[in-house]
Amino acid sequence: MSGLLRLLGIGVVLLLAQAVARLVLPTLAQPDLVLVYALALGLRGGGVQGLLLAFGAGFVEDVLSASPPGLFALLCGTACAATRLLDRALYLRAAAPWAAYVGVYTLANFALFGVTQRMFAPDSVLEWSELLIRAPGAALTTALCAAPLLHVFRRLLVEADRDGSWPVLATQGARSRP
Amino acid sequence: MSELLRRFRFALCYFALASLCALGMASRKAPAEIGFAPRLVLNLSLPLERMVTLPLSELRGAWGDYMALVGVREENERLRGRLARAEEENHQYREAILSSERFQKLAGFRAQREIPMVPANVIHQDLSPWFQSLIIDQGAAAGIRPGMPVITDSGVVGLVSGTTPGASKVLLVVDPQSRVDAYVERTRARGTVRGTSGHDCDFEYVLRHENIEEGDLLLTSGLGTVYPKGLVVGRVASVDRKTSGLFLGAKITPAVDFTRLEEVFVILEQRQIPAEESFSAADEGLWPAAATAPKGQVADAPKAHAADVPKAPVRGLPKRAPAAPKPAAVAPKPGEPPAAPQ
Repeated sequence: MSGLLRLLGIGVVLLLAQAVARLVLPTLAQPDLVLVYALALGLRGGGVQGLLLAFGAGFVEDVLSASPPGLFALLCGTACAATRLLDRALYLRAAAPWAAYVGVYTLANFALFGVTQRMFAPDSVLEWSELLIRAPGAALTTALCAAPLLHVFRRLLVEADRDGSWPVLATQGARSRP
Repeated sequence: MSELLRRFRFALCYFALASLCALGMASRKAPAEIGFAPRLVLNLSLPLERMVTLPLSELRGAWGDYMALVGVREENERLRGRLARAEEENHQYREAILSSERFQKLAGFRAQREIPMVPANVIHQDLSPWFQSLIIDQGAAAGIRPGMPVITDSGVVGLVSGTTPGASKVLLVVDPQSRVDAYVERTRARGTVRGTSGHDCDFEYVLRHENIEEGDLLLTSGLGTVYPKGLVVGRVASVDRKTSGLFLGAKITPAVDFTRLEEVFVILEQRQIPAEESFSAADEGLWPAAATAPKGQVADAPKAHAADVPKAPVRGLPKRAPAAPKPAAVAPKPGEPPAAPQ
């Protein structure tokens, strides 16, 4: 149980860190730490618990921003599901592939963000040009932040796995992995 | 069956939650009371936010104070010069206001009355870089309702988009969801100020032949349903006449520096202008109390015309400003003597 609580704790810390980054860093260089959290929750074949945590983190971001309710929750949930699908294929346990994956996914997340807004909240869409300007800087800083965070996530996920709080609802695929 | 459910549990769970999110986005309503779950999250997270952001802003303040001492003598000289110019300008404005008041009495306009306002502290900035909002420490308990305008002494900040008893969420004018009907003080050219999610805004739907220049001051027209007339929105940063079409493009620098915003005022009155009377009511500077307000300010551009905007906006915020009669002419430019009443 303590492993799961620690995962929750790091989610809160990352949310606060993102709030600080928003105050300190220029707009074009702000990392999306909540997205890193959601992506990491899909590692090790993250089960339903990881998905719920990812949606929860997105929901908190929705509440603390002016976004249409559910937008970030959907994006974070999708990020978690995508990592779960791609984890094994891309070998995301090492820092370099993980950072590259996070960077590329952040770019993809901008595209998903634009598409989702146009589908579900067309009255508050951001121009594609605006997203294109912001995407490279955000992808770079998010990838840079993701690499050192991987070690923390791996340790917490292993702990949660070991104390039994993580795989309770995890899929069979996650259990069979080395 | 149970084996099948277990096997596809992750996918089922994902689609269920994703559908909930999509439903939430699609069923978004106008500004309203924040629901139970978001309120719970907000109440739990705000103390943590304060713990982190308060020391940070204190640190920034201390650093800013220290840096302010560097070159203070030169700045002092410069500020003295500016103060002298501002005093002269202030004198001219005072004269203009006195003239305007005399004229208003003659025309039989109603006396000005106080606008009830609530001061509030900014306790949280928007977490996402894609939207522009903030949270203030006054809410429904202080009489704040969704749709109420938020201002500072510099100008328009935004409008209240949601409330809890102890806090309110404010949608800033630079948010892409925000629309403010405004006009250029110098030429009365009308248009709509739209946020871009950056630090500036677009001034849209301004006819190509209108005379707009860099540095022109933009004021709220009062023709929408949220902001009273004559509040400062910002200044024209650049004008683009290259694009084809009926309208020109202009970038606006907001009057308020949202990155350093600490205290704001919430105007506790909301305007509601019936659709069939919207033009005449706004034209006469009426401001009926109470009502609801939609998200952003809806411009009533097709009904109005630049020439019909009352021509003596009063920028003093605490007083309600009825429109001056049409012959009251133009407010004086800085450096020029005030227009004499006719």
